[in-house]
Amino acid sequence: MNQHQPVGIVMIEDDEGHARLIEKNIRRAGILNDIRHFTDGGSALDFLFNAADGPSKNGPAMILLDLNLPDMSGTDILARIKAPDSALRRAPVVVLTTTDDKVEIQRCYDLGCNVYITKPVDYENFATAIRQLGLFLTVIQVPDVEDAG
Amino acid sequence: MGRLLIAFMAIGFLCLLAAGATAAWVMQRNEQHTAWVNHTYEVELGISEASAALERVEAARRGFIISGQPTFLAAYLRFEGDVTRALGHVAALTADNPRQQASIAEARRALAVVAAERAQSVALVQRGRTGEAVAAFSAEATAQPMQHLRRIGAAMLAEERGLLARRDADQRASVTTFYTVLAMAGIILLLVAIIATATVLRYTRELGASRDQLRILNDTLEDQVAERTADLSRANEEIQRFAYIVSHDLRSPLVNVMGFTAELSAATGPLAELVDRAEAAAPDIVTQEARLAAREDLPEAIGFIRTSTQKMDRLINAILKLSREGRRTIAPERIDIAAVADNAVAAIQQVVDARGVTVTVERPMPALVSDRLAIEQILSNLIENATKYLQPGRPGEVAVTASQARGRVIIAVADNGRGIDTRDHQRIFDLFRRSGQQDQPGEGIGLAHVRALAYRLGGTIDVQSSLGEGATFRLNLPAVYQAPQEATA
Repeated sequence: MNQHQPVGIVMIEDDEGHARLIEKNIRRAGILNDIRHFTDGGSALDFLFNAADGPSKNGPAMILLDLNLPDMSGTDILARIKAPDSALRRAPVVVLTTTDDKVEIQRCYDLGCNVYITKPVDYENFATAIRQLGLFLTVIQVPDVEDAG
Repeated sequence: MGRLLIAFMAIGFLCLLAAGATAAWVMQRNEQHTAWVNHTYEVELGISEASAALERVEAARRGFIISGQPTFLAAYLRFEGDVTRALGHVAALTADNPRQQASIAEARRALAVVAAERAQSVALVQRGRTGEAVAAFSAEATAQPMQHLRRIGAAMLAEERGLLARRDADQRASVTTFYTVLAMAGIILLLVAIIATATVLRYTRELGASRDQLRILNDTLEDQVAERTADLSRANEEIQRFAYIVSHDLRSPLVNVMGFTAELSAATGPLAELVDRAEAAAPDIVTQEARLAAREDLPEAIGFIRTSTQKMDRLINAILKLSREGRRTIAPERIDIAAVADNAVAAIQQVVDARGVTVTVERPMPALVSDRLAIEQILSNLIENATKYLQPGRPGEVAVTASQARGRVIIAVADNGRGIDTRDHQRIFDLFRRSGQQDQPGEGIGLAHVRALAYRLGGTIDVQSSLGEGATFRLNLPAVYQAPQEATA
């Protein structure tokens, strides 16, 4: 974890239930970082790039991204984040979605996603996967946005 | 069309026949008429001869009376015979005509009178009483009999003439009839010919049109087939996409249901503990309902929700798997069927041993070029099934065989298990459908998957079985996989 500034977690997930289950299990893994939840792509992008307290103005962030969103495809958001002129292009993006389609997975990695996780339907596995992700989040290094900008 | 033509031809032939018959009839009538005309002339001739003979008799008698020469007497006697002969001839000719017969009888009577007078005068001359004879002759000259005879002759002639005229009229009438019939037959023939020609022309035109249509159909057949195939593949693709999206989107809420059920389940633990402690510390505050809810109702409800959602999860996964299988790219390669079967058996060897089943893989097996993964999945499903549904009290025996026939490879997996009711032979290949006693775990997915794979490889699968007799599943595949031409569209 970045030492000088707490890393904010931005969760873009249209399903409230999923979001709640993800948050619960991340918290159970001992992650206490701030989690901002958005249920649609538009407001999430607005927060990411334009909000005064958003990551492009403030500091390191990592993004949990669902691909099935009501207003846009998650891959579009991924493309925006990972675009060459994006302030957030180095921010780690974890795609967390129900799709396990090979083509989709390839496309996400091509676009620069850092981790692709398929949500297990079975809750045991789901909880385990999210907790492991939480443990993973405690150890990864996240680059500073300012450094990138 | 053909029947109509035959009818027209029949009518035409009938007309010709009628015309021919009429012609024959008219010919016959003509012959008859000619015969009658001849007959009439003959009768007329007879009458004339009789009259002439009569006149000659008269002349000879006059000559004899006047000259007394015996040559006249000889002539007279000869001519007398002529008259009788001629009259007899006429009588024979007119035997069918009572009026002529009557006239002849009349003539004969008159002739008898005349002959008697003549004989008398001739006899007078012979005896030399010529004067008496001349006187008698003179008296006789004005007498009636001879005149009467002449009139009879004239009347008979007139009668014959009348008959001839009637026969002529008849003849003309029959000729008119003939021409009428001929004309009618001609008209009908012409009509038949026109109608038949029109029919044939129309028929020919229709034939030509249908031939053209056939040619057009034939020419466009390949396009149509291609079009239909494209439609089908599109529809198939659509169904697969639909299945994929539906099952995929169903998973999302299912994650919530299962997740929160687990949370709920976890929450019942502390609750039950609390109830236990409360019961121990202050039994009066724990009601019977609270106890039941915490210890029985909640765990039971959660248990049912859990098993149902787990089943739903398996079903959705099955649909997803099937739809994904349909989208997978087929990679044909040379496959050793026996090795694939061995691997499939090895993968479930423990289960097979536990069930006490022996599986034999017959060798050698024909070569097959197809998709390895699909064949592996098909064989492992079929072998797993064969070792699963056993007839109680009979150790399971499974045989995997393969044969080649005209570009097809037939792989058979035969068992001696409990068999499948013939009514279920189609049903077992449907998704989520099973047969027989539901005493084995399973979702009714395996055979649906097998059939989808078989179709995908351009093959078919069927089963031969009856209850208690074991079952044989036969997978019929092209020996060399051919990619469908429109599948990539």
